[in-house]
Amino acid sequence: MIFGLVRGNSGQPVDPAGGHMRILIVEDDVDAAGAMARCLSETGIETVHAADGLLGLAAAQMGGFHVLVVDRMMPNMDGLTLVETLRREGDQTPVLFLSALGEIDDRVAGLKAGGDDYLVKPYAFAELSARVEALARRRETGSVQTMIKVGDLEMDLIGRVVHRQGNQIDLQPREFQLLEYLMRHAGQSVTRTMLLEKVWEYHFDPQTNVIDVHISRLRAKIDKGFDHPMLQTVRGAGYRLEV
Amino acid sequence: MAIALPRVFRTTPFRLTLLFLTVFAASASIFLGYIYVATAGEVTSRADQAITQEIQSLTGVYRQGGVKALNRSMVERAAGDRPFLYLLRDKTGQKVTGSLEASPVEGVIGAPSSVNFNVTDTDPDGAEIRHSARGQQVRLDGGEILFVAADVSAAESFVLEILRAIWGAGALVILLGLAGGIVISRNVNETMAGLNRVVLAVQGGHIAARVKLRGVNDEFDELASGLNDMLDRLERSMGGLRHVGDAIAHDLRSPLSRLRARLELALIEAEAGKGNAQAALVQALEDADAVLATFNAVLAITRLQSAVEAPDQVQFDPGDLAAGVAELYEPLCEDKAIEFKLEATPALAVRGNREFIAQALANILDNAVKYTPQGGAVRLRVRRRASGEVEFSVTDTGLGVPEPDRPRVVQRFVRLENSRSQPGAGLGLSLVAAVAEAHGGRLELDEGPGTLDGSGPGLRVALVLPRLG
Repeated sequence: MIFGLVRGNSGQPVDPAGGHMRILIVEDDVDAAGAMARCLSETGIETVHAADGLLGLAAAQMGGFHVLVVDRMMPNMDGLTLVETLRREGDQTPVLFLSALGEIDDRVAGLKAGGDDYLVKPYAFAELSARVEALARRRETGSVQTMIKVGDLEMDLIGRVVHRQGNQIDLQPREFQLLEYLMRHAGQSVTRTMLLEKVWEYHFDPQTNVIDVHISRLRAKIDKGFDHPMLQTVRGAGYRLEV
Repeated sequence: MAIALPRVFRTTPFRLTLLFLTVFAASASIFLGYIYVATAGEVTSRADQAITQEIQSLTGVYRQGGVKALNRSMVERAAGDRPFLYLLRDKTGQKVTGSLEASPVEGVIGAPSSVNFNVTDTDPDGAEIRHSARGQQVRLDGGEILFVAADVSAAESFVLEILRAIWGAGALVILLGLAGGIVISRNVNETMAGLNRVVLAVQGGHIAARVKLRGVNDEFDELASGLNDMLDRLERSMGGLRHVGDAIAHDLRSPLSRLRARLELALIEAEAGKGNAQAALVQALEDADAVLATFNAVLAITRLQSAVEAPDQVQFDPGDLAAGVAELYEPLCEDKAIEFKLEATPALAVRGNREFIAQALANILDNAVKYTPQGGAVRLRVRRRASGEVEFSVTDTGLGVPEPDRPRVVQRFVRLENSRSQPGAGLGLSLVAAVAEAHGGRLELDEGPGTLDGSGPGLRVALVLPRLG
């Protein structure tokens, strides 16, 4: 697994390729943070916990984290201020905001302050770990990517065509976007909510699981007639595109 | 030390009356003072003119006929009804003739100035009466000194009478004003007390208290009816809140009880070393998620309802938004062999929160797909009405909602008998209604195109947004 080089504010370079994923949890609810740490360590992620905003800022400034999970409301310094401070100092470590507030304007405020993703409490741990993983592997490539390849599946981003084992697969525009997202996160679990947010850009929960229907359509197109299925269902979490 | 005045003196109308009275009294004083000065001045100047004329006339007599003629004329005049007083003295100052014994002045004094002095007289009862008089004195050509005066006591008492009348009128005005102020204050005070009683009652928890209108449509009635309207709305929303509280308690109690039972059973079985703990946990998690989903939906609805208007409103093309949501639901329809069609008038514009409106539309479509049998048809239309309002309407060929139930299905947690078999908490349309209201629009439920076999009317649900501007 290759990560981008993450540089903390301390100037200490961190090479995630050499080690495992390390994230900072800034959360004043110690029980919640503990449960989160246990859940994330199950997936092999190392966590460091800071119990308030100021401690969190100090820890984040030391650098060396792949993702910061930051609660919105905390004593001493709130999450928004913490992230704004880091961003002003040039720290670009991905941030996942956690909040008990669920209104749209709260989410917008979080993203404006420099957050990269937003999760409303209470959340499923599968949702949390999927989002943390997605953030950690988000790679900022200097040059514009023109091809994505996952196993024998190839996506041409310029020509907007997809081939598997050399056979062209016809996709609707939305199906193309859906597959692109899955391919960019190949090997990771992505939840239904993540797909709805990142592909459709809706931030509500539909009463019926409409995403499942879209996935099964896509699956029929990319997996049907091939010897091994790539689009897997992850129980209790969502989906994963695997080689 | 502060003196505790009776309440009526502390009221605003009374204070305003006092202020008005003060201003009125001040201006009346200036006005009446001017009248006094003008009247008094007129009286003296007339007297002075008469004296000057009398002296001129006497001087004329003297020039023609000498002291003798003057003397005779003075005697004649004194016997007449002219109210003049005379004194003629010779060169040495000895009295020659006249009705006065002595002159109040030595030198010559003439028009335009006169001298004021008093003369005493005796009335028929022998009592002394003081008269005020004004006089002028001239030296005649022969050296004699002539003093002519006029009794001005009558004129003076006239002026005094005017002054007294002015004082009396002023006092009367102030008294009447005070009385009026008290009456008005009492009246206003009573009305205000009625309002106050209601405010205190509501503070004390009696939300049903209302102000009685006097039926005169004045500003107090307006205030009172405004207060009553406000209380009505407050009472309704409190009732709504209580309803939500009850509904949440009711709707969350059973899944929570189920969750608890499942966990307890799993624990007992795990301790006994039997049963499938993992399956029980999966079930418990699902129960918990259902509870949370209900909770979140209720929260979203109440937040929308308590907001003055939906946040983050932008102008957008409703056709685009509908196309996006339609695209999300289209495969679902296809799976259920439902014919789905979107008809949108291009290039319309509405203003609103895209996210909320998309969610509302998703909820309507969700219901339509849920309640339309296989082989049915769902149609989503976006168009502008003649009124300028923009409507998103969804028709389906399901059984529809009987007319008497239509207002009810919009309420929170209301689920009709034949929908119980379907998943959902009965919050979908409540959210749509809340979204409509937060945009100044409304939700309409009608008959649809009917089921294919004619067993039901189908349903038409329309989210109507107000026209721009």
